Amino acid sequence: MTDTLTSTGAAPSAPARPKRKIDVNALLVEGRALVALVVIIVVFALLSDNYLRPENLILMTRHVAMNAVLAIGMLLVILNGGIDLSVGSTVGLSGVVAGYLLRGYDMPFTALIAYPPVWVVIIISLAVGAFVGLINGLLVSRLKIAPFIATLGMLYVARGVALLITNGETFTALRGSETLGNTGFLTVLASSPLGIPFPIWVMVAFALVFSLLLTRTAFGRWLYATGGNERAAELSGVPVQKVKVWIYVLAGFCAGAVGLLLTADLPAATPRGGELYELNAIAAVVIGGAALSGGRGTIRGTIIGAFVIGFLVDGLVIVGVSTFWQQVIKGAVIIIAVGIDQVQQMISKRNAVKRAHVPSSAPAAPAGTPA
Amino acid sequence: MIRSIHKVAVVATALAIGLAGCGGGSSEAGASPSSEGGGEAGSGTIAVITVDPSNPYWKAEVETAQSEAEKLGYETTADAHNNDADKQNQFIDAAISKKVKAIILDPAGADESVGAVQKATDAGIPVFLVNAEISEQGVAKSQIVSNNAQGATIGAQAWVDEVGDAGNYVELLGNPTDNNAQVRSDGYAQIISQYPDLTLVQQETANWDRAEGKAKMETMLSAHPDIIGVVSGNDEMALGAIQALKDAGKLDQVKVLGFDGNPAAVSAIEEGEMVASVLQPIVEGTTLAVQQVDEYLRTGETGASSEKQAIDCVLITPDNAGQLDDFVLSS
Repeated sequence: MTDTLTSTGAAPSAPARPKRKIDVNALLVEGRALVALVVIIVVFALLSDNYLRPENLILMTRHVAMNAVLAIGMLLVILNGGIDLSVGSTVGLSGVVAGYLLRGYDMPFTALIAYPPVWVVIIISLAVGAFVGLINGLLVSRLKIAPFIATLGMLYVARGVALLITNGETFTALRGSETLGNTGFLTVLASSPLGIPFPIWVMVAFALVFSLLLTRTAFGRWLYATGGNERAAELSGVPVQKVKVWIYVLAGFCAGAVGLLLTADLPAATPRGGELYELNAIAAVVIGGAALSGGRGTIRGTIIGAFVIGFLVDGLVIVGVSTFWQQVIKGAVIIIAVGIDQVQQMISKRNAVKRAHVPSSAPAAPAGTPA
Repeated sequence: MIRSIHKVAVVATALAIGLAGCGGGSSEAGASPSSEGGGEAGSGTIAVITVDPSNPYWKAEVETAQSEAEKLGYETTADAHNNDADKQNQFIDAAISKKVKAIILDPAGADESVGAVQKATDAGIPVFLVNAEISEQGVAKSQIVSNNAQGATIGAQAWVDEVGDAGNYVELLGNPTDNNAQVRSDGYAQIISQYPDLTLVQQETANWDRAEGKAKMETMLSAHPDIIGVVSGNDEMALGAIQALKDAGKLDQVKVLGFDGNPAAVSAIEEGEMVASVLQPIVEGTTLAVQQVDEYLRTGETGASSEKQAIDCVLITPDNAGQLDDFVLSS
């Protein structure tokens, strides 16, 4: 109503109305995660005076940021009804590639050692992540290998390659030197512009870009369509296979970015980096209201999901809960958050079915009983 | 000169996107073939089964076992069970079916590994344990372990000498299912408990891992900004804690103790970032194990007076850090 009063031009008001509706729906889906987050914050604030201190909030958000970036990539894959188990290994691989290049890399066929400048290192590391994603995408879309299997395989391949590159070592010479012109990796990636750590800026940037991608582009609409009903999407002209390849590439790209952030954070490139990160990313996505069957989920929900996990895990440490209970509680929160979501969906689906099939439901019931 | 290398680097690396991994892989493959060696003195294959080659400590263990055995003319295979008793079982099965001459094993758990060792012994393959022990005697031919309890006490004493006898400290624990995590923690407590004003305000598990050590340290610093010390179950976690303290600008007020004596920790000690670490003489122990394997295969006796042999750990401080190179202390 206010729309029609305030706006004189028709063009801006027309898209504003449906957008608001989507927001309300999205908020309902994400509502549970948001409630969980608020409960977590309130509980831990009551248990510890340190929890809400600004430095601690920034610290916890920095811990959240890496999982959130990984979860954004995971969301794209899950929206398509797929899964990417290889992202944790990709984090390790891209970090190791960065460390390897910064340390100086023996050029094949020559006696030269190459010291690429930092921006080249960053681009190559991201490209390595995207490349792992590309392989995943091609395996899934061209060879029709189930995403779970294809990415499970790449989980081992990427980790193995990371170990091969390092021969098991951890690279710590990341600072670079002036004479070689490869300084800056740590000064940029481990910096805190405006007092906010770099990983948080990356999370914000990724969240903005990817939510525009999902809500404002044809690619985004295609992705939701393929996740909802792949056959229908294909028949209506969506380039289903192309979309599939791209989401894995983007997930790999996100993992590459996390690999760089993790390496700069430590600061060390270890072949074990990112182990089991894929599970935290999946947890963030599902807590954020996405359906593993595809077609449903938002960037905002995923980010909230990442905050739920991160603020919970750090809160348990701050309060001093025993390590063993930490795991039990984390698992329980994931199950409860998603369980509530499922129950609510079952109820709304049942209501919808009732409304749609009131006359036909009576003959359907006896047909099912003989079996 | 440097300029031109630099330029070549840009072009080559830009062309070699993705090849970077392969390049590294192939050069490593050429560098460490396991089946080299003359093959005159000893003969046959020795299976080396250890924990995790991505940790420099176990890497040194594997490499020592392989190079020493190859020096004596044996061929070797190397596998890593990552502390998974089930995987260990599979490697033992594989070694049995390959009819190896002997197995050098860093066991995955004291109780869990008894069965696996028994199985190999029953199949007529002698097993020699290094680094960690199993809970039964008479199954393996020898058990050469580093004395973790003694190591933890000398480390803790050096740490107390630096940190003083009053204040709050925190502890980073290793993987809770790993024997050594508890043994080291107990060793630390045994010394530190003699100073009633040193208070352990929090313990967190960081699974021997550097990234986890850093994250846990950051969060513990939030909860306890007043701590003056950190004792860590190994060097990797200690290095993560040091980075967290550096980022928080608190490294000068907090003293960190590590364990293992790995190369990165040694340079941290030299730079004054870590108070001390404890060297497990893994190279020495593994070399001894290989000698006993050789002795046993030739004479039927290991030559050692008892099955269980404990090697004392060595304290690494700024005084002797310079003499340490890849787990070997030169005198």
